[in-house]
Amino acid sequence: MDLEKLMNKSQNLGIDEASFILEEREKRQVRFSNNDIDISKLWLEKSLGVFISKGKKVFMTTIKNLHKAEELLEKYARILQNLPENKDFYGLNPKRQSYREKKIDYGILDLELENLAKDVIDGAIEKGAIRAAGVIYRDYVKRKILTNYNSAEDEVANVDIVIRAFNEYRNAGQEAITTAEAKELEDARSIGERAGVIASLGGEPKDGKEGKYKILFHPLAFGSLISYSMHMASAFAVDAGMSFFAGKIGEKAYSEKLTIYDDPTFFSTGHRVFDEEATATQRTPIVEKGVVRNYLHSYSTAQKFNTETTGNAGIINPNAWQPVVEGGNKSYQDLLSEIDRGLFIVNLWYTRFQDYRNGDFSTIPRDGIFYIEDGEIKESWKGIRVTENMQHIFSSVVDVSKEREKVKWWDEVLPSYLPYVLVDGVNITRSKL
Amino acid sequence: MEDIMERVLNKIDARFAEVRYMRIKMNLITVKNGVVNTVASTEEDGFAVRVVNEGIGFGATNDLSKLDEIAERAIKLAKNRKNKVEFSQEKSYEDSWSVEEKKKIENMDMEEKINYLIDVDKRLSAQMKLQMLRDKEIEKIYMNSEGTKIRAKIPRVEYFYMMGVMDNGNFEQSYRQYGISGGYEIFDRWDILSLLPEEEKALKNVVKAKKSPEGTYDLIVGPEVAGIIAHESCGHPSEADRILGREAAQAGESFINPSKIGDKIGSEIVNVVDDPTVPNSFGYYKYDEEGIPARRRYLYKEGKINEFLHNRESAGKLGTKSNGAARSSWWNREPIVRMSTTFFEPGDYSKEELFEDVKEGIYMKSFTEWNIDDIRYNQKYVGREAYLIKNGEIVEPVRRPVLEITTPGFYGRIDAIAKDLEFFGGTCGKGDPMQGVDVWMGGPHIRLRGIKLR
Repeated sequence: MDLEKLMNKSQNLGIDEASFILEEREKRQVRFSNNDIDISKLWLEKSLGVFISKGKKVFMTTIKNLHKAEELLEKYARILQNLPENKDFYGLNPKRQSYREKKIDYGILDLELENLAKDVIDGAIEKGAIRAAGVIYRDYVKRKILTNYNSAEDEVANVDIVIRAFNEYRNAGQEAITTAEAKELEDARSIGERAGVIASLGGEPKDGKEGKYKILFHPLAFGSLISYSMHMASAFAVDAGMSFFAGKIGEKAYSEKLTIYDDPTFFSTGHRVFDEEATATQRTPIVEKGVVRNYLHSYSTAQKFNTETTGNAGIINPNAWQPVVEGGNKSYQDLLSEIDRGLFIVNLWYTRFQDYRNGDFSTIPRDGIFYIEDGEIKESWKGIRVTENMQHIFSSVVDVSKEREKVKWWDEVLPSYLPYVLVDGVNITRSKL
Repeated sequence: MEDIMERVLNKIDARFAEVRYMRIKMNLITVKNGVVNTVASTEEDGFAVRVVNEGIGFGATNDLSKLDEIAERAIKLAKNRKNKVEFSQEKSYEDSWSVEEKKKIENMDMEEKINYLIDVDKRLSAQMKLQMLRDKEIEKIYMNSEGTKIRAKIPRVEYFYMMGVMDNGNFEQSYRQYGISGGYEIFDRWDILSLLPEEEKALKNVVKAKKSPEGTYDLIVGPEVAGIIAHESCGHPSEADRILGREAAQAGESFINPSKIGDKIGSEIVNVVDDPTVPNSFGYYKYDEEGIPARRRYLYKEGKINEFLHNRESAGKLGTKSNGAARSSWWNREPIVRMSTTFFEPGDYSKEELFEDVKEGIYMKSFTEWNIDDIRYNQKYVGREAYLIKNGEIVEPVRRPVLEITTPGFYGRIDAIAKDLEFFGGTCGKGDPMQGVDVWMGGPHIRLRGIKLR
């Protein structure tokens, strides 16, 4: 596919600005449950992401039939002429960009996913789990972009491993890691072992009790809270009035222990060289020592907010690439020992907000809920819910661990690099009948 | 196209194989606070090949030139299993089906759709307004190695809004989804131009209301709340793939196990069904994605666990037949066990009779935040539009009543079910990679006694 030819055609069709992103993808997946592989999958896909504008009129699409791209572009150019203006659109980034070198570990492509699955299952069973379920993904993408002003190419490959292990009482443990480096998967069995250890730790879980607790969140659990929050750090969400970050730029809103970046320059699964309008990506502080620093911007949203793009296009709706939370000085074991009466929570799911603007939400712990007394795990719990406010959580961060993990999971955990996070006064509720 | 698919299918040497082709034309418009934010249009098609030998191999591509390659690789991928997978034995069918559009999608131009959304926006004064309108025209061909061949054409239209109002620093938000299998007659069924101003008015009342009282009350839930509860704590735990652990690392498992068929789950007046054949329902289908005829399934019947939802894989494992619950959301997704339209069957009471007999209670007409654990046992629903009831009368709006309850706790406290029935659209998430499928959920007004609320 010749993107230059397509760009010339778009200009002949009276289109002012265009962004074309050509993607070629080979994706593999192995899913397993009950200690056996359920299905092995393969996807071979090509697509052309198209964004076109004329003045403030904008239109976007993804073309999957690449042989019809020129014909479809003519059709879409005709639709564009008749659209109303999007007064929130201020154009594509016209500044000439310089890009980092693409970075890929081709060793990822040589990994045998079925063998990885067998290794992680064996690891979990070795540590006392009676059954394990999970998924292994490998994604390999070649990506080219051309706008009126810039062009670039990228190539990425990464692997996700998720394993959920169960003991005889259905107590679960989970690991959900992601990486772009094959060497990190040399001992895949240990990933399963960690899930197996968590599953076995709890014995038979007891019904949890309501109250306010000091809670140590595993990176996977905190990843859920961070991922939902990053959606609200998008300038689109702020502009729509659907964000608790709104109006807080420059304000010391949260604990000084909390520093959150969007960092697509960090080499892992969320690594990216350019965004959807060919702006070079960058490391952007969202919260720095508790101070809200930036929203996530495209060129267009940045113009509206009178600031600079952060390289997070989605041209209309900017998005995070890879949340990274700064680590601290203490080990997670040290943080655990600081809990007199509290909980250690490995994973969260079904996070839902009743109030985006203030951050009221609840979410359900799973895959390891441990009651802690005097720094020691006393028992495993079940049936509880975190009923909280995201701003209260962020304000109540006591400390973060020096260890960080690369996590990503099915239920809205973006590829992230996060520490264990200790939060005080977290509200726990449970069913009443 | 069928010739190509047959050629590929005939080349596959396996215990079972299928080839699916899907073509989708889709239009999407979003309007944010009066600004037409997104206009998008896509046309795509693709193939999926599934092969069953010792295990299951699956390949998908949108590049016709790669079709043979994905078939060959799917055959190799189907060998990776210790214990041989068994699909249920089923009859084969050949049929074509389609859904009628009274107001055809192809006749509705972009300008008309945009004007409708702008018109809705102009009738609202909420501080936060987001609308989305999407239509899809789907064509499918399915064929398998047992001789089944199904052709289908399904148009679907979906409208979604999110709205937020502020008053004295308080904020209340709402969102709702409407969808049908059919065309733009969706706006005859639901008059959004009237419904949204009514919703805004209700939100403006609620945002000024005092917090709902904490304590033990009788509770009446409206059809929207009944629908989400039927979906979350009856439909999901009745999915046989969850029961068998296949979704354990993602959407979870179920508090139900195969031996619980016939166990009591609630009061005897409770009947919850899942029915893909409800005319024009958002998740309507005549045959499922494995070519099995659709039918109504009684999941909870007379207060007892009655039937699971099955595809051929789960039915094979449990030694039964598929009941036509296999769905795949897109051409590049495997067919897994899904709901369609899940709802409480109506009862004998009028809505008024439900209220008459309540001395002190809460009416939760609609919901905002909700969630449920991954075995579908502990759940929470926060009321959006809600009222205090005293001596059978609605007294005043109350803000955000919270129901946190177990599944048998909810179904066991139901003492009266009204005759009315209403459906709401939704997108049900499950599978890995995620498959959002179009569903309806609903029910009548339902009364429960002695419920702890906060």
